[in-house]
Amino acid sequence: MTPTEMALPLATRGPGTAAGPATEAQLFARHIEGDQAAREVLVRRFIPLARSLARRYDRSSEPFEDLLQVASLGLLKALDRFDPTLGHPFASFAVPTILGEMRRHFRDAGWSVHVPRGAQERALKVRDAQERLANARGRAATVNELAEYLELSIEQIIDALQAIQAYESLSLDAPRPGATADEAPSYGDAMGEEDARYELVELDATVSAVLGRIPQRERDILRMRFVDDLTQTEIAERVGISQMQVSRLLRHSLDQLRALTATS
Amino acid sequence: MAEPPNVCLTLSNQPDNVLLVRETLSGMAETVGVDGVDLNDIRTAVTEACNNVVLHAYEGEEGPLQVEMFVSADTVEVVVRDHGTGIKPHIRSDEEAALGIGLSIIQALAPRVEFKDVDGGGTEVRMEFATPSVQSLDSLVRNGFQAPSLERSQLATTTGLAVAPDTLARRVLPRVMCVLAARAHFTTDRISDTEMVADALVSEAFAPSTGDHLNVSVTVEPRSLQLRVGPLYSGGAGRLIASSPARGVGPVIEKLTDDRRIDADGASEMLELRLLDKR
Repeated sequence: MTPTEMALPLATRGPGTAAGPATEAQLFARHIEGDQAAREVLVRRFIPLARSLARRYDRSSEPFEDLLQVASLGLLKALDRFDPTLGHPFASFAVPTILGEMRRHFRDAGWSVHVPRGAQERALKVRDAQERLANARGRAATVNELAEYLELSIEQIIDALQAIQAYESLSLDAPRPGATADEAPSYGDAMGEEDARYELVELDATVSAVLGRIPQRERDILRMRFVDDLTQTEIAERVGISQMQVSRLLRHSLDQLRALTATS
Repeated sequence: MAEPPNVCLTLSNQPDNVLLVRETLSGMAETVGVDGVDLNDIRTAVTEACNNVVLHAYEGEEGPLQVEMFVSADTVEVVVRDHGTGIKPHIRSDEEAALGIGLSIIQALAPRVEFKDVDGGGTEVRMEFATPSVQSLDSLVRNGFQAPSLERSQLATTTGLAVAPDTLARRVLPRVMCVLAARAHFTTDRISDTEMVADALVSEAFAPSTGDHLNVSVTVEPRSLQLRVGPLYSGGAGRLIASSPARGVGPVIEKLTDDRRIDADGASEMLELRLLDKR
Protein backbone atom coordinates (compact mmCIF):
# COMPACT_ATOMS: atom_id res chain seq x y z
CA MET A 1 0.00 0.00 0.00
CA THR A 2 1.27 3.44 -0.80
CA PRO A 3 0.38 6.42 1.36
CA THR A 4 -1.39 8.12 -1.54
CA GLU A 5 -3.66 5.17 -1.92
CA MET A 6 -4.54 5.40 1.76
CA ALA A 7 -5.34 9.05 1.31
CA LEU A 8 -8.29 8.32 -0.90
CA PRO A 9 -11.41 8.10 1.16
CA LEU A 10 -13.51 5.12 0.28
CA ALA A 11 -16.07 7.30 -1.43
CA THR A 12 -13.67 8.23 -4.23
CA ARG A 13 -12.53 4.66 -4.86
CA GLY A 14 -15.67 3.74 -6.69
CA PRO A 15 -17.16 0.62 -5.20
CA GLY A 16 -20.72 1.15 -4.21
CA THR A 17 -20.71 4.51 -2.59
CA ALA A 18 -19.76 6.64 -5.62
CA ALA A 19 -22.91 5.73 -7.44
CA GLY A 20 -24.98 6.37 -4.34
CA PRO A 21 -26.25 4.00 -1.72
CA ALA A 22 -29.47 3.37 -3.62
CA THR A 23 -27.72 1.37 -6.32
CA GLU A 24 -25.83 -0.65 -3.77
CA ALA A 25 -29.08 -1.33 -1.94
CA GLN A 26 -30.81 -2.34 -5.16
CA LEU A 27 -27.99 -4.69 -6.06
CA PHE A 28 -28.14 -6.29 -2.64
CA ALA A 29 -31.91 -6.64 -2.89
CA ARG A 30 -31.51 -8.49 -6.21
CA HIS A 31 -28.59 -10.53 -4.85
CA ILE A 32 -30.66 -11.72 -1.92
CA GLU A 33 -33.35 -12.90 -4.33
CA GLY A 34 -30.70 -15.06 -5.97
CA ASP A 35 -29.79 -12.83 -8.94
CA GLN A 36 -26.33 -14.08 -10.02
CA ALA A 37 -25.72 -11.06 -12.27
CA ALA A 38 -26.24 -8.66 -9.35
CA ARG A 39 -23.83 -10.73 -7.26
CA GLU A 40 -21.19 -10.50 -9.98
CA VAL A 41 -21.57 -6.72 -10.20
CA LEU A 42 -21.12 -6.50 -6.43
CA VAL A 43 -18.03 -8.69 -6.54
CA ARG A 44 -16.49 -6.53 -9.26
CA ARG A 45 -17.27 -3.38 -7.30
CA PHE A 46 -15.74 -4.56 -4.07
CA ILE A 47 -12.73 -6.45 -5.38
CA PRO A 48 -10.65 -3.24 -5.09
CA LEU A 49 -11.49 -3.24 -1.36
CA ALA A 50 -10.24 -6.84 -1.02
CA ARG A 51 -7.13 -5.97 -3.01
CA SER A 52 -6.47 -2.93 -0.86
CA LEU A 53 -6.68 -5.00 2.32
CA ALA A 54 -4.47 -7.76 0.88
CA ARG A 55 -1.87 -5.17 -0.04
CA ARG A 56 -1.65 -4.12 3.59
CA TYR A 57 -0.21 -7.53 4.39
CA ASP A 58 2.00 -7.53 1.35
CA ARG A 59 5.06 -6.95 3.50
CA SER A 60 4.50 -10.32 5.10
CA SER A 61 6.22 -13.34 3.65
CA GLU A 62 3.10 -14.62 1.90
CA PRO A 63 2.94 -14.09 -1.86
CA PHE A 64 0.53 -11.29 -2.79
CA GLU A 65 -1.54 -13.57 -5.06
CA ASP A 66 -2.26 -15.88 -2.11
CA LEU A 67 -3.25 -12.96 0.09
CA LEU A 68 -5.53 -11.62 -2.62
CA GLN A 69 -7.17 -14.98 -2.97
CA VAL A 70 -7.83 -15.18 0.77
CA ALA A 71 -9.16 -11.60 0.81
CA SER A 72 -11.45 -12.36 -2.14
CA LEU A 73 -12.80 -15.41 -0.34
CA GLY A 74 -13.50 -13.14 2.62
CA LEU A 75 -15.32 -10.74 0.31
CA LEU A 76 -17.57 -13.52 -1.01
CA LYS A 77 -18.40 -14.58 2.54
CA ALA A 78 -19.20 -10.96 3.42
CA LEU A 79 -21.50 -10.62 0.39
CA ASP A 80 -23.43 -13.72 1.40
CA ARG A 81 -23.73 -12.77 5.06
CA PHE A 82 -24.49 -9.07 4.69
CA ASP A 83 -27.91 -7.92 5.80
CA PRO A 84 -28.75 -4.67 3.93
CA THR A 85 -31.89 -4.12 6.00
CA LEU A 86 -29.73 -3.11 8.99
CA GLY A 87 -28.84 0.10 7.19
CA HIS A 88 -25.03 -0.05 7.43
CA PRO A 89 -22.81 0.44 4.40
CA PHE A 90 -21.48 -2.84 3.04
CA ALA A 91 -17.81 -1.79 3.35
CA SER A 92 -18.03 -1.43 7.13
CA PHE A 93 -19.25 -5.01 7.30
CA ALA A 94 -16.86 -6.35 4.66
CA VAL A 95 -13.60 -5.00 6.18
CA PRO A 96 -13.77 -7.01 9.42
CA THR A 97 -15.04 -10.09 7.57
CA ILE A 98 -12.18 -9.99 5.07
CA LEU A 99 -9.62 -9.28 7.81
CA GLY A 100 -11.03 -12.19 9.81
CA GLU A 101 -10.52 -14.48 6.83
CA MET A 102 -6.91 -13.31 6.46
CA ARG A 103 -6.30 -13.78 10.16
CA ARG A 104 -7.48 -17.38 9.88
CA HIS A 105 -5.20 -17.85 6.92
CA PHE A 106 -2.16 -16.59 8.86
CA ARG A 107 -3.06 -18.80 11.77
CA ASP A 108 -3.40 -21.87 9.51
CA ALA A 109 -0.12 -21.00 7.83
CA GLY A 110 1.61 -21.37 11.18
CA TRP A 111 2.28 -17.71 11.87
CA SER A 112 1.36 -17.94 15.53
CA VAL A 113 3.96 -20.48 16.59
CA HIS A 114 7.18 -19.88 14.70
CA VAL A 115 8.85 -17.78 12.07
CA PRO A 116 7.03 -18.57 8.84
CA ARG A 117 8.99 -20.60 6.32
CA GLY A 118 8.79 -17.81 3.76
CA ALA A 119 10.61 -15.48 6.13
CA GLN A 120 13.33 -18.07 6.74
CA GLU A 121 13.84 -18.61 3.04
CA ARG A 122 14.07 -14.88 2.54
CA ALA A 123 16.66 -14.59 5.30
CA LEU A 124 18.80 -17.20 3.53
CA LYS A 125 18.41 -15.33 0.25
CA VAL A 126 19.50 -12.10 1.89
CA ARG A 127 22.50 -13.83 3.43
CA ASP A 128 23.57 -15.26 0.07
CA ALA A 129 23.05 -11.96 -1.76
CA GLN A 130 25.03 -10.22 0.94
CA GLU A 131 27.96 -12.53 0.32
CA ARG A 132 27.76 -12.27 -3.44
CA LEU A 133 27.68 -8.47 -3.32
CA ALA A 134 30.51 -8.37 -0.79
CA ASN A 135 32.67 -10.55 -3.02
CA ALA A 136 31.92 -8.40 -6.04
CA ARG A 137 32.57 -5.06 -4.34
CA GLY A 138 35.11 -5.87 -1.69
CA ARG A 139 32.90 -4.42 1.04
CA ALA A 140 29.60 -5.28 2.68
CA ALA A 141 26.41 -4.14 0.92
CA THR A 142 24.00 -1.51 2.20
CA VAL A 143 20.35 -2.33 2.88
CA ASN A 144 19.34 -0.32 -0.19
CA GLU A 145 21.74 -2.29 -2.37
CA LEU A 146 20.36 -5.58 -1.06
CA ALA A 147 16.78 -4.42 -1.58
CA GLU A 148 17.54 -3.40 -5.14
CA TYR A 149 19.46 -6.57 -5.91
CA LEU A 150 16.77 -8.89 -4.54
CA GLU A 151 13.82 -6.71 -5.57
CA LEU A 152 12.55 -6.67 -2.00
CA SER A 153 11.44 -3.76 0.20
CA ILE A 154 13.72 -2.10 2.75
CA GLU A 155 11.45 -3.52 5.44
CA GLN A 156 11.81 -7.06 4.11
CA ILE A 157 15.61 -6.75 4.13
CA ILE A 158 15.62 -5.34 7.67
CA ASP A 159 13.30 -8.10 8.87
CA ALA A 160 15.61 -10.66 7.26
CA LEU A 161 18.67 -9.12 8.95
CA GLN A 162 16.87 -9.27 12.29
CA ALA A 163 15.75 -12.83 11.65
CA ILE A 164 19.33 -13.91 10.89
CA GLN A 165 20.40 -12.46 14.23
CA ALA A 166 17.63 -14.30 16.02
CA TYR A 167 17.84 -17.75 14.43
CA GLU A 168 19.53 -20.36 16.48
CA SER A 169 18.74 -22.96 13.88
CA LEU A 170 21.69 -24.61 12.23
CA SER A 171 20.19 -24.20 8.78
CA LEU A 172 21.71 -20.73 8.52
CA ASP A 173 25.11 -22.13 9.30
CA ALA A 174 24.90 -24.82 6.67
CA PRO A 175 27.62 -24.58 4.00
CA ARG A 176 26.84 -22.05 1.34
CA PRO A 177 26.19 -23.18 -2.22
CA GLY A 178 29.46 -23.93 -3.98
CA ALA A 179 31.56 -24.03 -0.83
CA THR A 180 33.40 -27.22 0.02
CA ALA A 181 33.29 -28.62 3.50
CA ASP A 182 36.85 -27.40 4.15
CA GLU A 183 36.07 -23.80 3.33
CA ALA A 184 32.89 -23.65 5.28
CA PRO A 185 33.30 -24.64 8.88
CA SER A 186 29.94 -25.19 10.48
CA TYR A 187 28.71 -23.72 13.70
CA GLY A 188 29.40 -27.02 15.43
CA ASP A 189 33.15 -26.96 14.79
CA ALA A 190 34.02 -25.05 17.90
CA MET A 191 31.69 -27.07 20.07
CA GLY A 192 33.13 -29.72 22.32
CA GLU A 193 36.54 -28.10 22.35
CA GLU A 194 35.46 -25.71 25.03
CA ASP A 195 36.33 -27.97 27.99
CA ALA A 196 39.76 -28.84 26.66
CA ARG A 197 40.68 -25.21 26.20
CA TYR A 198 39.35 -24.05 29.52
CA GLU A 199 42.48 -25.07 31.40
CA LEU A 200 44.80 -23.43 28.92
CA VAL A 201 42.94 -20.18 29.20
CA GLU A 202 43.40 -20.09 32.95
CA LEU A 203 47.14 -20.02 32.38
CA ASP A 204 46.94 -17.08 30.03
CA ALA A 205 47.17 -13.96 32.14
CA THR A 206 45.99 -11.62 29.37
CA VAL A 207 42.66 -13.37 29.05
CA SER A 208 40.12 -13.26 31.83
CA ALA A 209 38.57 -16.42 33.15
CA VAL A 210 35.22 -15.25 31.83
CA LEU A 211 36.53 -14.99 28.29
CA GLY A 212 37.85 -18.51 28.63
CA ARG A 213 34.35 -19.83 29.02
CA ILE A 214 33.26 -19.12 25.49
CA PRO A 215 34.41 -21.26 22.55
CA GLN A 216 37.78 -20.65 20.90
CA ARG A 217 36.36 -19.55 17.56
CA GLU A 218 34.16 -16.90 19.21
CA ARG A 219 37.17 -15.70 21.19
CA ASP A 220 39.22 -15.46 18.00
CA ILE A 221 36.48 -13.46 16.32
CA LEU A 222 36.24 -11.09 19.30
CA ARG A 223 40.01 -10.58 19.18
CA MET A 224 39.99 -9.90 15.45
CA ARG A 225 37.25 -7.27 15.83
CA PHE A 226 38.22 -5.58 19.08
CA VAL A 227 41.99 -6.05 19.28
CA ASP A 228 43.13 -6.38 15.66
CA ASP A 229 40.48 -3.91 14.41
CA LEU A 230 39.41 -6.01 11.44
CA THR A 231 36.01 -5.28 9.91
CA GLN A 232 33.37 -7.99 10.08
CA THR A 233 33.76 -8.60 6.35
CA GLU A 234 37.49 -9.17 6.79
CA ILE A 235 36.85 -11.53 9.68
CA ALA A 236 34.25 -13.39 7.62
CA GLU A 237 36.84 -13.97 4.92
CA ARG A 238 39.47 -15.27 7.34
CA VAL A 239 37.16 -17.56 9.25
CA GLY A 240 35.24 -18.74 6.19
CA ILE A 241 31.75 -17.80 7.33
CA SER A 242 29.37 -15.02 6.27
CA GLN A 243 29.58 -11.49 7.65
CA MET A 244 26.12 -11.97 9.12
CA GLN A 245 27.32 -15.02 11.01
CA VAL A 246 30.26 -13.00 12.28
CA SER A 247 27.76 -10.37 13.41
CA ARG A 248 25.63 -12.94 15.15
CA LEU A 249 28.57 -14.64 16.84
CA LEU A 250 29.99 -11.29 18.02
CA ARG A 251 26.73 -10.11 19.49
CA HIS A 252 26.03 -13.48 21.02
CA SER A 253 29.47 -13.78 22.64
CA LEU A 254 29.34 -10.22 24.01
CA ASP A 255 25.94 -11.09 25.52
CA GLN A 256 27.35 -14.24 27.06
CA LEU A 257 30.35 -12.38 28.44
CA ARG A 258 28.12 -9.77 30.03
CA ALA A 259 25.97 -12.47 31.60
CA LEU A 260 29.03 -14.35 32.87
CA THR A 261 30.62 -11.18 34.25
CA ALA A 262 27.38 -10.30 36.02
CA THR A 263 27.19 -13.69 37.73
CA SER A 264 30.89 -14.13 38.54
CA MET B 1 -0.64 9.53 38.05
CA ALA B 2 -0.96 7.36 35.00
CA GLU B 3 1.88 4.95 34.41
CA PRO B 4 4.44 6.07 31.84
CA PRO B 5 4.70 4.14 28.58
CA ASN B 6 7.21 1.33 28.08
CA VAL B 7 8.17 2.80 24.74
CA CYS B 8 7.85 6.38 23.55
CA LEU B 9 8.96 7.37 20.06
CA THR B 10 9.14 10.95 18.86
CA LEU B 11 9.46 11.12 15.10
CA SER B 12 8.76 13.30 12.15
CA ASN B 13 5.64 12.36 10.20
CA GLN B 14 7.68 11.42 7.13
CA PRO B 15 6.53 8.16 5.50
CA ASP B 16 9.87 6.37 6.23
CA ASN B 17 9.15 6.55 9.91
CA VAL B 18 6.18 4.18 9.71
CA LEU B 19 8.76 1.42 9.18
CA LEU B 20 10.54 2.50 12.35
CA VAL B 21 7.28 2.17 14.29
CA ARG B 22 6.60 -1.25 12.76
CA GLU B 23 10.07 -2.49 13.69
CA THR B 24 9.66 -1.18 17.22
CA LEU B 25 6.41 -3.14 17.49
CA SER B 26 8.21 -6.27 16.30
CA GLY B 27 10.92 -5.78 18.92
CA MET B 28 8.28 -5.34 21.61
CA ALA B 29 6.38 -8.42 20.39
CA GLU B 30 9.55 -10.52 20.43
CA THR B 31 10.30 -9.51 24.01
CA VAL B 32 6.93 -10.32 25.50
CA GLY B 33 5.97 -13.15 23.18
CA VAL B 34 3.07 -11.65 21.23
CA ASP B 35 1.57 -14.28 18.95
CA GLY B 36 2.60 -13.77 15.30
CA VAL B 37 -0.98 -13.38 14.10
CA ASP B 38 -1.72 -10.81 16.83
CA LEU B 39 1.45 -8.93 15.93
CA ASN B 40 0.30 -8.82 12.33
CA ASP B 41 -2.96 -7.22 13.49
CA ILE B 42 -1.19 -4.72 15.75
CA ARG B 43 1.27 -3.76 13.03
CA THR B 44 -1.52 -3.31 10.51
CA ALA B 45 -3.76 -1.19 12.74
CA VAL B 46 -0.89 0.98 14.01
CA THR B 47 0.37 1.43 10.44
CA GLU B 48 -3.05 2.79 9.48
CA ALA B 49 -3.05 5.23 12.38
CA CYS B 50 0.49 6.38 11.56
CA ASN B 51 -0.27 6.73 7.86
CA ASN B 52 -3.09 9.06 8.77
CA VAL B 53 -0.62 11.28 10.62
CA VAL B 54 1.78 11.06 7.68
CA LEU B 55 -0.91 12.09 5.23
CA HIS B 56 -3.45 14.23 6.99
CA ALA B 57 -2.23 15.71 10.26
CA TYR B 58 -0.08 18.56 9.00
CA GLU B 59 -1.58 19.35 5.60
CA GLY B 60 1.56 18.54 3.67
CA GLU B 61 3.97 20.06 6.21
CA GLU B 62 6.36 18.15 8.44
CA GLY B 63 5.33 17.73 12.07
CA PRO B 64 5.78 15.43 15.06
CA LEU B 65 4.40 11.90 15.25
CA GLN B 66 4.45 10.41 18.70
CA VAL B 67 3.91 6.74 19.38
CA GLU B 68 3.62 5.21 22.84
CA MET B 69 3.39 1.54 23.75
CA PHE B 70 2.13 0.16 27.05
CA VAL B 71 2.61 -3.52 27.78
CA SER B 72 0.66 -5.29 30.51
CA ALA B 73 -0.09 -8.92 31.27
CA ASP B 74 -2.75 -9.48 28.65
CA THR B 75 -3.01 -6.28 26.65
CA VAL B 76 -0.81 -4.12 24.51
CA GLU B 77 -1.90 -0.53 24.15
CA VAL B 78 -0.55 1.73 21.44
CA VAL B 79 -1.16 5.46 21.26
CA VAL B 80 -0.51 7.39 18.05
CA ARG B 81 -0.54 11.14 18.52
CA ASP B 82 -0.04 14.20 16.37
CA HIS B 83 -0.02 17.89 17.13
CA GLY B 84 -1.56 19.00 13.88
CA THR B 85 -4.94 20.22 12.85
CA GLY B 86 -5.52 18.37 9.60
CA ILE B 87 -7.51 15.47 10.89
CA LYS B 88 -9.46 16.87 13.79
CA PRO B 89 -12.36 18.63 12.10
CA HIS B 90 -13.05 15.51 10.07
CA ILE B 91 -13.13 13.28 13.10
CA ARG B 92 -15.83 15.43 14.62
CA SER B 93 -17.92 15.49 11.49
CA ASP B 94 -17.39 12.18 9.81
CA GLU B 95 -14.66 9.81 10.93
CA GLU B 96 -15.28 7.37 8.16
CA ALA B 97 -14.77 9.88 5.39
CA ALA B 98 -11.63 11.40 6.87
CA LEU B 99 -9.85 8.17 7.58
CA GLY B 100 -11.23 6.24 4.65
CA ILE B 101 -10.71 2.56 4.91
CA GLY B 102 -8.08 3.06 7.63
CA LEU B 103 -10.56 3.58 10.42
CA SER B 104 -12.55 0.47 9.48
CA ILE B 105 -9.32 -1.50 9.64
CA ILE B 106 -8.32 -0.07 13.01
CA GLN B 107 -11.77 -0.79 14.41
CA ALA B 108 -11.79 -4.31 13.00
CA LEU B 109 -8.38 -5.15 14.48
CA ALA B 110 -8.30 -3.35 17.83
CA PRO B 111 -10.99 -4.41 20.32
CA ARG B 112 -10.91 -0.93 21.88
CA VAL B 113 -10.25 2.30 20.01
CA GLU B 114 -10.52 5.79 21.39
CA PHE B 115 -10.07 9.14 19.65
CA LYS B 116 -9.16 12.16 21.70
CA ASP B 117 -8.24 15.75 21.06
CA VAL B 118 -4.75 16.66 22.20
CA ASP B 119 -4.36 19.79 24.34
CA GLY B 120 -3.02 22.58 22.18
CA GLY B 121 -4.20 20.94 18.96
CA GLY B 122 -3.88 17.50 17.47
CA THR B 123 -5.39 14.07 17.71
CA GLU B 124 -4.68 10.96 19.69
CA VAL B 125 -5.71 7.46 18.61
CA ARG B 126 -5.55 4.98 21.48
CA MET B 127 -5.75 1.33 20.47
CA GLU B 128 -5.94 -1.55 22.89
CA PHE B 129 -5.14 -5.04 21.68
CA ALA B 130 -5.91 -8.26 23.51
CA THR B 131 -2.73 -10.30 23.64
CA PRO B 132 -3.43 -13.28 25.89
CA SER B 133 -0.03 -14.80 25.14
CA VAL B 134 2.12 -11.96 26.48
CA GLN B 135 4.38 -12.18 29.47
CA SER B 136 4.19 -9.07 31.57
CA LEU B 137 7.30 -6.96 31.98
CA ASP B 138 8.26 -7.55 35.57
CA SER B 139 10.12 -4.42 36.53
CA LEU B 140 8.12 -1.41 37.62
CA VAL B 141 8.67 1.62 35.46
CA ARG B 142 7.49 4.88 36.92
CA ASN B 143 10.29 7.23 37.86
CA GLY B 144 11.48 10.27 36.01
CA PHE B 145 9.90 9.51 32.66
CA GLN B 146 10.76 12.09 30.07
CA ALA B 147 9.26 11.84 26.60
CA PRO B 148 12.04 12.52 24.12
CA SER B 149 11.72 16.22 23.35
CA LEU B 150 12.88 17.44 19.99
CA GLU B 151 12.66 20.86 18.39
CA ARG B 152 10.59 20.91 15.21
CA SER B 153 13.71 21.92 13.31
CA GLN B 154 15.47 18.72 14.46
CA LEU B 155 12.64 16.41 13.44
CA ALA B 156 13.67 16.02 9.82
CA THR B 157 16.86 14.20 10.81
CA THR B 158 16.41 13.18 14.44
CA THR B 159 14.42 10.45 16.17
CA GLY B 160 13.83 10.24 19.91
CA LEU B 161 13.27 7.02 21.84
CA ALA B 162 12.59 6.36 25.52
CA VAL B 163 12.28 2.72 26.51
CA ALA B 164 12.02 0.66 29.69
CA PRO B 165 12.65 -1.82 31.20
CA ASP B 166 15.97 -3.18 29.93
CA THR B 167 14.47 -6.50 28.82
CA LEU B 168 12.34 -4.55 26.34
CA ALA B 169 15.15 -2.18 25.35
CA ARG B 170 17.32 -5.21 24.48
CA ARG B 171 15.05 -6.02 21.53
CA VAL B 172 13.83 -2.54 20.66
CA LEU B 173 16.95 -0.36 20.62
CA PRO B 174 19.08 -2.53 18.28
CA ARG B 175 16.15 -2.80 15.83
CA VAL B 176 15.59 0.95 15.85
CA MET B 177 19.32 1.49 15.35
CA CYS B 178 19.32 -1.00 12.47
CA VAL B 179 16.57 0.94 10.67
CA LEU B 180 18.34 4.26 11.23
CA ALA B 181 21.75 2.89 10.19
CA ALA B 182 20.15 1.54 7.02
CA ARG B 183 18.71 5.00 6.42
CA ALA B 184 22.20 6.48 6.84
CA HIS B 185 23.36 4.10 4.05
CA PHE B 186 25.57 2.08 6.36
CA THR B 187 26.81 -1.27 5.08
CA THR B 188 25.51 -4.37 6.88
CA ASP B 189 28.98 -4.59 8.42
CA ARG B 190 28.65 -1.22 10.09
CA ILE B 191 24.94 -1.77 10.84
CA SER B 192 26.00 -4.71 12.96
CA ASP B 193 28.54 -2.52 14.80
CA THR B 194 25.73 -0.04 15.44
CA GLU B 195 23.60 -2.83 16.90
CA MET B 196 26.50 -3.82 19.15
CA VAL B 197 26.72 -0.24 20.42
CA ALA B 198 22.97 -0.46 21.10
CA ASP B 199 23.50 -3.75 22.98
CA ALA B 200 26.22 -2.11 25.07
CA LEU B 201 23.98 0.87 25.86
CA VAL B 202 21.15 -1.41 26.91
CA SER B 203 23.36 -3.34 29.30
CA GLU B 204 25.32 -0.37 30.66
CA ALA B 205 23.23 2.79 30.34
CA PHE B 206 20.22 2.01 32.52
CA ALA B 207 22.15 2.25 35.78
CA PRO B 208 23.55 5.75 35.20
CA SER B 209 20.26 7.09 33.73
CA THR B 210 18.52 9.64 35.93
CA GLY B 211 15.12 8.02 35.30
CA ASP B 212 13.89 4.46 34.79
CA HIS B 213 13.99 4.82 31.01
CA LEU B 214 16.84 4.66 28.58
CA ASN B 215 16.63 7.86 26.53
CA VAL B 216 18.38 7.99 23.18
CA SER B 217 18.01 10.42 20.32
CA VAL B 218 19.60 9.63 16.99
CA THR B 219 20.46 12.04 14.19
CA VAL B 220 20.85 10.53 10.74
CA GLU B 221 23.07 12.02 8.06
CA PRO B 222 24.59 10.28 5.06
CA ARG B 223 27.01 7.66 6.44
CA SER B 224 26.79 9.17 9.90
CA LEU B 225 24.75 8.51 13.03
CA GLN B 226 24.91 10.71 16.07
CA LEU B 227 23.50 9.39 19.33
CA ARG B 228 22.64 11.43 22.39
CA VAL B 229 22.17 9.23 25.45
CA GLY B 230 20.80 10.53 28.72
CA PRO B 231 20.29 12.42 30.93
CA LEU B 232 22.83 10.43 32.95
CA TYR B 233 24.16 11.02 36.44
CA SER B 234 27.39 12.93 36.57
CA GLY B 235 30.29 10.61 35.78
CA GLY B 236 28.02 8.04 34.12
CA ALA B 237 28.99 8.92 30.55
CA GLY B 238 32.71 8.42 31.16
CA ARG B 239 32.09 5.03 32.78
CA LEU B 240 29.88 4.01 29.85
CA ILE B 241 32.61 4.78 27.33
CA ALA B 242 35.18 2.81 29.33
CA SER B 243 32.97 -0.15 30.19
CA SER B 244 33.91 -3.54 28.84
CA PRO B 245 31.96 -6.80 28.84
CA ALA B 246 35.08 -8.73 29.89
CA ARG B 247 38.77 -8.23 30.50
CA GLY B 248 40.60 -8.95 27.26
CA VAL B 249 37.91 -7.50 24.99
CA GLY B 250 38.30 -3.83 25.83
CA PRO B 251 35.79 -0.99 25.84
CA VAL B 252 33.21 -1.89 23.19
CA ILE B 253 31.61 1.54 22.85
CA GLU B 254 34.95 3.24 22.48
CA LYS B 255 36.11 0.71 19.90
CA LEU B 256 33.00 0.88 17.74
CA THR B 257 32.35 4.62 17.69
CA ASP B 258 34.28 7.31 15.84
CA ASP B 259 33.79 10.14 18.31
CA ARG B 260 32.62 10.49 21.89
CA ARG B 261 31.74 13.61 23.84
CA ILE B 262 30.32 14.30 27.25
CA ASP B 263 27.93 17.21 27.43
CA ALA B 264 27.67 18.15 31.11
CA ASP B 265 24.70 20.13 32.39
CA GLY B 266 24.81 20.69 36.14
CA ALA B 267 24.23 17.47 38.03
CA SER B 268 23.47 15.49 34.89
CA GLU B 269 25.18 14.91 31.58
CA MET B 270 24.54 13.61 28.08
CA LEU B 271 26.75 11.15 26.25
CA GLU B 272 27.21 11.92 22.57
CA LEU B 273 28.44 9.18 20.27
CA ARG B 274 29.16 9.36 16.58
CA LEU B 275 29.34 6.40 14.24
CA LEU B 276 30.56 6.84 10.69
CA ASP B 277 30.69 4.44 7.77
CA LYS B 278 34.02 5.22 6.18
CA ARG B 279 34.02 2.41 3.61
